[in-house]
Amino acid sequence: MMNRRSLLQGLSLSILSATMGVSPRHGEAEDAPEVGDQPVTSADRLRIAVIGPGSRGKELIRQFLRVPGVEVVAVADVYELRFLQVNELVGKAVPAYKDYRQMLERRDIDAVVVASPPLFHAQHVIDSIQSGRPVYGEKTMGFTEEDNYNIVNAVTQSGQIYQVGHQNRYAPWFQEAIRRIHEGEIGEPTHVYAYWFRRDNWRRNVPDPNLEHLINWRLYRESSGGLLEELGSHQIDVANWIFGEQPQTVLGSTSIVLYNDGRTVGDNVQAILGYSKGRRMIFSSLTDNAFMGDQLWVYGTNGSVQLTVEDATFYGSIHHTITGSDHTDAVRRGVKTGASYNYAADDEMPYRGPGKRIDARKAEDPTLTACRSFVHCVRTKTQPVADVRVGFGSAMACTTGKNAVFEGSMKNVPQWKPPAA
Amino acid sequence: MSYASSFHERPPTPPVPAFAPDRQEELPGALPLYSFSTPAMGTEFTLHLYSSSQDKARSIAGAAFEEVHRIENLLSHYRPGSELSRINREAFDHPVTTDPETFQFLDYAFAWSARSEGAFDITVGKLMKAWGFFGDTGRVPTPQELSSIRSQVGWRNVCLDPDRRTVRFLVPGIELDPGGIGKGYAVDRVVRVLQDEPVPASLISAGSSTLYAIGSPPGEVGWKVRVPVPGKPGHILSTVLLRDTSLSTANYTEKRFLDRGHLYGSIMSTETLLPIESVLQVTAVAPSATDSDALSNVLFALPTHARASLLDSLPAVSALVLTPEQETAQPEAVRWPAPIAKEDCECSTMMEED
Ligand SMILES: NC(=O)c1ccc[n+]([C@@H]2O[C@H](COP(=O)([O-])OP(=O)(O)OC[C@H]3O[C@@H](n4cnc5c(N)ncnc54)[C@H](O)[C@@H]3O)[C@@H](O)[C@H]2O)c1
Repeated sequence: MMNRRSLLQGLSLSILSATMGVSPRHGEAEDAPEVGDQPVTSADRLRIAVIGPGSRGKELIRQFLRVPGVEVVAVADVYELRFLQVNELVGKAVPAYKDYRQMLERRDIDAVVVASPPLFHAQHVIDSIQSGRPVYGEKTMGFTEEDNYNIVNAVTQSGQIYQVGHQNRYAPWFQEAIRRIHEGEIGEPTHVYAYWFRRDNWRRNVPDPNLEHLINWRLYRESSGGLLEELGSHQIDVANWIFGEQPQTVLGSTSIVLYNDGRTVGDNVQAILGYSKGRRMIFSSLTDNAFMGDQLWVYGTNGSVQLTVEDATFYGSIHHTITGSDHTDAVRRGVKTGASYNYAADDEMPYRGPGKRIDARKAEDPTLTACRSFVHCVRTKTQPVADVRVGFGSAMACTTGKNAVFEGSMKNVPQWKPPAA
Repeated sequence: MSYASSFHERPPTPPVPAFAPDRQEELPGALPLYSFSTPAMGTEFTLHLYSSSQDKARSIAGAAFEEVHRIENLLSHYRPGSELSRINREAFDHPVTTDPETFQFLDYAFAWSARSEGAFDITVGKLMKAWGFFGDTGRVPTPQELSSIRSQVGWRNVCLDPDRRTVRFLVPGIELDPGGIGKGYAVDRVVRVLQDEPVPASLISAGSSTLYAIGSPPGEVGWKVRVPVPGKPGHILSTVLLRDTSLSTANYTEKRFLDRGHLYGSIMSTETLLPIESVLQVTAVAPSATDSDALSNVLFALPTHARASLLDSLPAVSALVLTPEQETAQPEAVRWPAPIAKEDCECSTMMEED
């Protein structure tokens, strides 16, 4: 059941008809083809190649190899150590290329996974698309404003399949919670507070100082949008999904509190993203305290929802419910008298009671669902839910937002334009 | 293909390549020691390492713990999103295609089942739940409960197909619980990460039940590991010096509960479906942590004669076994590399209170 539903939610009809942030409704699930781990025929073989099999690329290889019929036929990376790691992971020698363009010349590649750092996404995604292959591209979609528009144009002009690595779109508890939010369960959602707290220096150990920028690309502005782009992009994507649009403005701030080690991005970041009708998303990331973990709170006019990496919990309206109906009963029947010793916490105290949790005990890793769904899209030539427009919505907030963060300023976010013909 | 039939002759090879010491960098003598810990796999992983700077040590610990959490996400049967939980949910309905690493891990765990005639068996998930060892504090199940899960335990009910990399359960209700080998595997993976970094001397510990020592602290022959006397706080049976090898301990009293004066442990017999009470503690030293972890449980579960002949066939392994009968006698020690404190061997019985 979970398979069928999550699969269906991984599909949308076409890029052009897809409304950003709105996934197909559950009702359509009944007609969806069932894709479980059925035995596959050779016709179902799907041969993928990976550009940039670093930390995330290797994880994607593991996940893709859990999808029946998928094989990893080639990898490309500028760092040769990765080739050994991939061979160990796949259990055999995988043809390896230092130049990804040579790899793309192979005839046996059915789809390309791009997991290089964001600085190279546009180049790697566009070249792969132009070689005639569907692409699973890691977030953040593009590194600059131009990159984002170029990727959108390349994808739409070719009609090729592009899925962005925003796997929350494939998490059933996110889908269910956001469906209920869209149905009005917490009233009008007006604010999203996103926390991503960690307690680590975000620095990778470098065996040779010449490799510092290759390995620690996250720490330098020329190759990284810092915590907003690396972590916040996922949460901005969720806010976009909830609000059904991309943000219009970003106000940013950053500093270094603990890790004064030569990095040029901050070790903590705050940003306020402005949506229409005054709605806001507040992003805060610390790296010196992991207390909040990775979670989002959605506040509505009539309730709140907490979204985490494992579950979603709904809370009703807590204080000050003011209803407009006239309670004539109080007059007609009179009021009742009795003992009054019910203790209630002060009005301004935070609510500490239970909420109603969405049961996600049967949910697989959303990245696996995302990979499975991509394979299905390639086999059936359908566009994914996490399509180029989804990628654009979050990427544009980050490409603009990181400059607002670095400058401590407020910026307007360039908006989606119908792709050039 | 029935998986079980193919395995008997094949000696298990650890799923992680053995650690090859290769340390030309600074001698740890000149370096400070750093310690880090992270909660994972229901315990706390600790890493001690010598490093030239705190920043470097922090980054290395970050990479090591990232690997621990990756393995937890792969193998935890508590996490719905783990690969193992997915297999537990789906492998009876259809063969589940899994990644090479998970496949190899399961293959290896079942190789130990074959080698131990099923004494070691990761299909104990339902049994552990029946005894309240799944997130609970323990309870004695009724005989009816136990007989109702009998068909849901048994490694021969799991079929692995190496060509398709699929896992399939032949009967409904099977639940894999990698508790007897998973932490060892995680330690081996961390050792593999540290090999790439590399570090001159380090000790990694999975909640003290499985450890791996890389190199040794300055001026020492190895990292000191104290093997306690079970049930006697403060009493030490033996102190081993560990270097470029691993050590694991399976202990009757580590995870247990008391019911009407009887102490029930959590290492189960898949034959009787009851906790094994013929052994108090096993400590095994082996080149791979996956092996020492599995072996500490295998040796715990095997009868005395089978234990001896298994150890005979494993020349790279040493072991120290304490049984309740040994009260005042010598513990069983096979190739044990350190002195054993004899006077401390008045081991407690199953009726202990603490
Ligand atoms: N979806 C998610 O949850 C998620 C999680 C982590 C990372 N990511 C994304 O994945 C991407 C990679 O992150 P990572 O942590 O794996 O980084 P990484 O540094 O570990 O891996 C990147 C790999 O790309 C290689 N590379 C660098 N420049 C290259 C070039 N010009 N050509 C070919 N290869 C090149 C590097 O050598 C490295 O092997 C980033 O975009 C990151 O944001 C996504």
